[in-house]
Amino acid sequence: MVSITIDNVSKRFGKTLALDNISLHIEAGELFFLLGSSGCGKTTLLRHIAGFYAPDKGKILFGKDDVTNTPPHKRNTAMMFQSYALWPHMSVAKNVAFGLEEQRMQKQEIRNNVSEALHTVKMAECSERKINELSGGQQQRVALARALIVRPRCLLLDEPLSNLDAKLRLEMRSEIRRICKEFGLTAIYVTHDQKEALSIADRIAVLDSGTVSQVGTPQEIYRSPRSKSVAGFIGETNFVPGTVKASNADGRVEVTTRHGSFIGRKASPAWEPVIADSVTLSIRPEAFTVSESNSETNSITGKLASLTYLGEIAQYGIAMEGDTLLQVAELNPSILHHPGEVEFHASVDPDDVVIINN
Amino acid sequence: MSKPIAYIVFIATAAFFALFFIWPIATTVEEAFIDDGQFTLDFVAHIFADPLYIEGLSNAFLIATFSTLTALLIAMPMALIADRYIFPGKTLLGSLVLVPLILPPFVGAIGIKQILGQEGALNILLSKTGLVDMSAPPDWLGEGRFWGVVIMNALHLYPILYLNITAALANLDPAMEESAQNLGATPWCRFRRITLPLAMPGIFAGATIVFIWSFTELGVPLMFDYQRVTSVQIFNGIKDIGGNPMPYALVAVMLGFSVILYIAGKHFFGRNNFTMTGRAAISTKQRKASPLVGMLCSGFFACIISLAIFPHIGVILMSLATDWYHSVLPQSLTLQHYSDALGHELTVPSIANSLKYSSISTLLDLVLGIAIAYVIVRSRIPGRNILDAISMLPLAVPGLVLAFGYLAMTREGQPFHFLLPEGNPTLILVIAYAVRRLPYVVRSAVAGFQQTSVDLEEAAQNLGATPLRTLKRVTIPLITANLIAGGLLAFAFAMLEVSDSLILAQQQPHYPITKAIYTLFGALGNGHFLASALGVWSMIFLAITIIGASIALGKKLGALFRV
Repeated sequence: MVSITIDNVSKRFGKTLALDNISLHIEAGELFFLLGSSGCGKTTLLRHIAGFYAPDKGKILFGKDDVTNTPPHKRNTAMMFQSYALWPHMSVAKNVAFGLEEQRMQKQEIRNNVSEALHTVKMAECSERKINELSGGQQQRVALARALIVRPRCLLLDEPLSNLDAKLRLEMRSEIRRICKEFGLTAIYVTHDQKEALSIADRIAVLDSGTVSQVGTPQEIYRSPRSKSVAGFIGETNFVPGTVKASNADGRVEVTTRHGSFIGRKASPAWEPVIADSVTLSIRPEAFTVSESNSETNSITGKLASLTYLGEIAQYGIAMEGDTLLQVAELNPSILHHPGEVEFHASVDPDDVVIINN
Repeated sequence: MSKPIAYIVFIATAAFFALFFIWPIATTVEEAFIDDGQFTLDFVAHIFADPLYIEGLSNAFLIATFSTLTALLIAMPMALIADRYIFPGKTLLGSLVLVPLILPPFVGAIGIKQILGQEGALNILLSKTGLVDMSAPPDWLGEGRFWGVVIMNALHLYPILYLNITAALANLDPAMEESAQNLGATPWCRFRRITLPLAMPGIFAGATIVFIWSFTELGVPLMFDYQRVTSVQIFNGIKDIGGNPMPYALVAVMLGFSVILYIAGKHFFGRNNFTMTGRAAISTKQRKASPLVGMLCSGFFACIISLAIFPHIGVILMSLATDWYHSVLPQSLTLQHYSDALGHELTVPSIANSLKYSSISTLLDLVLGIAIAYVIVRSRIPGRNILDAISMLPLAVPGLVLAFGYLAMTREGQPFHFLLPEGNPTLILVIAYAVRRLPYVVRSAVAGFQQTSVDLEEAAQNLGATPLRTLKRVTIPLITANLIAGGLLAFAFAMLEVSDSLILAQQQPHYPITKAIYTLFGALGNGHFLASALGVWSMIFLAITIIGASIALGKKLGALFRV
């Protein structure tokens, strides 16, 4: 268990700058997520930590230990590959034993450790099976056992659940968190799936075109996105452009938009709003409450253009003036509104309106 | 893979190629065009002025053309059938179809002569039914046995075309044909306008190899005693190689023709290397043949295979015959020739020599092949595509040209004379065999690396294995099948190598099998029978090697040839 520091790391592949001066600090024992769309640099960063890439500039530290130029086999990280990378010419037990064999551990000891590790991931019965006889979920467990058995300084997970079906994914993600916490592992988890990140992360770094957009706990990232790109990437949201009308002493800001005026909170506490600043409001669809009538602030009125009924949620598309469409979600809807109804009203709490400085 | 290692491998292999591929060719060309330090075209001009050499070249050209056409005629329908239908015994027949490739063609020549010769088994058989008058028997092998050479070449080389065409067809997106069908094209129209043009690069690649191979083939015309062809003229010229520049000039002309052919073909056919976008599942393309069609398919394959191995069956009969003259089959059988052959001073040492040369050269090929393939697939250094291209070049350069180059570069006074110490050709033969067969090993190793995900190697390093340990514990075991396949091809071809063996091994104690067979064949008395017996011995050795390897691999025979 070790803390990890990424210090101003940059990496260029040909003409593209894959990592642009990235700095991060990951606490010992933390389950840390790198989240972003494909091509944002998250896997590249993970492979730097594993040692498969060397940064063009910057440093990587494990605790106080500078590992920037340490080859992968001397880093004692354990990586779980997206493809699992289980060796098809070895049995399950052989795969799991590999790391310990490379450490020249006693045979008997290896055997005990292997059966214990397979037990941890609930695969004890399959130790003599061949890899191609396993299902996707079983392969995933073996890959996890193979990574855990070497007692790595940190566990690196590269989209470990992307090859599993939806139900198994839910089961495995809590399993991964359980095991990480049980072993007290520092773990870095790469994914593009925000639900995975929000549900089990201690902290999340959102990456965008090789830079870190925001680092924070799941709640911070979801409720207080600092930028449009973070707000847009995590969950669904409505962006409404506007200008600052007033800045109140309690930190609230009043904004004028074409759909009326809204009171909300600042995305970044450091920002000092000035009147007439151009801003963007981010309002999550589920933050709206469907209401009977219009009020002066923090509410919208428009024509109901679409309804998507998902059981637990009803999603409404509201056609506003000027051809904009706002999304409103109602949880556990008892009465459905159908397109064609003349007026549709919804209001939102100032706490749920995030004001992002453009 | 770290860059310094990649560069070291690159430089080492490039140096190997410069010394043992470029240098021998350059030496030959130099001898052909330089007289007393002056550039001259006299020697080459002399060739084109001499009707004997012109005839040799035109015969070589005709042999190559007819051999390629015949091979195409055999391979094309087989490839189409294999691509389209699932029929009884397909796996087995599909593997056996490739066997002729490793049957020594110049040994088969003995059998063909015995069966198709004027006094051969076929004519005797036909005369018994009254179809042929033995006082003026028809000459099936043609004047100077031209057709004998063509038949033997085609029967030996059609598997190369078959492999290339099936690979090309397998890469075709079935939707290409289906869309033509959907638009109302008849089967023949689909074949002519869609399948054939799209498969052309593959067909061409195979045809080029077959053409160049038969254009410069030495062993087969030599065994048919067909003297009026360039390769044999060159071989005969060795006797007075010391001062005579003509063999060199002939080799240079031959090389020139091969290269022009290769480039011209690439220009006309190879340019549009169609890349297929998505591929539908193969299962939609291959369908089970109806019982009748299935029988016909199996029958066709079986027919071709028996035809292809029939010269070698002739050899086996020959080796068992007490006497075989003026009769359909040998009058009586004996094992005498085998024991005689083993007792002969030429045979046992030649077998030992061939095993030694071939296994060392195969090992060299494996080491070079793995290193080159690793750089090509796993490194990102700029020169890796060049390395890929040059490692394939030995396929395009005639073996005769290289053999001659090696001879020239190891002559007394040349810097590489030390490779032929006191006429012992072990070193230079090992190198010659290795260079010629390297492309097979490189191709199969490259395929292996490409099929093996980098993740698997990185996972090992991630768990603490050094790069070398990773190679040993993960990479090599995963590509073993590919390496064995490539290594076996290299070994089998080395065992049967003709040009280098005949030209470079000049002292009897160092003869490899092929030269021993050639020498025995020319010997008086029971030479023919002994040569056949030795030929059968060599085929048995090959069979044991290949079957043994396939058992060790736990795979079917055919998998070995699908490199």
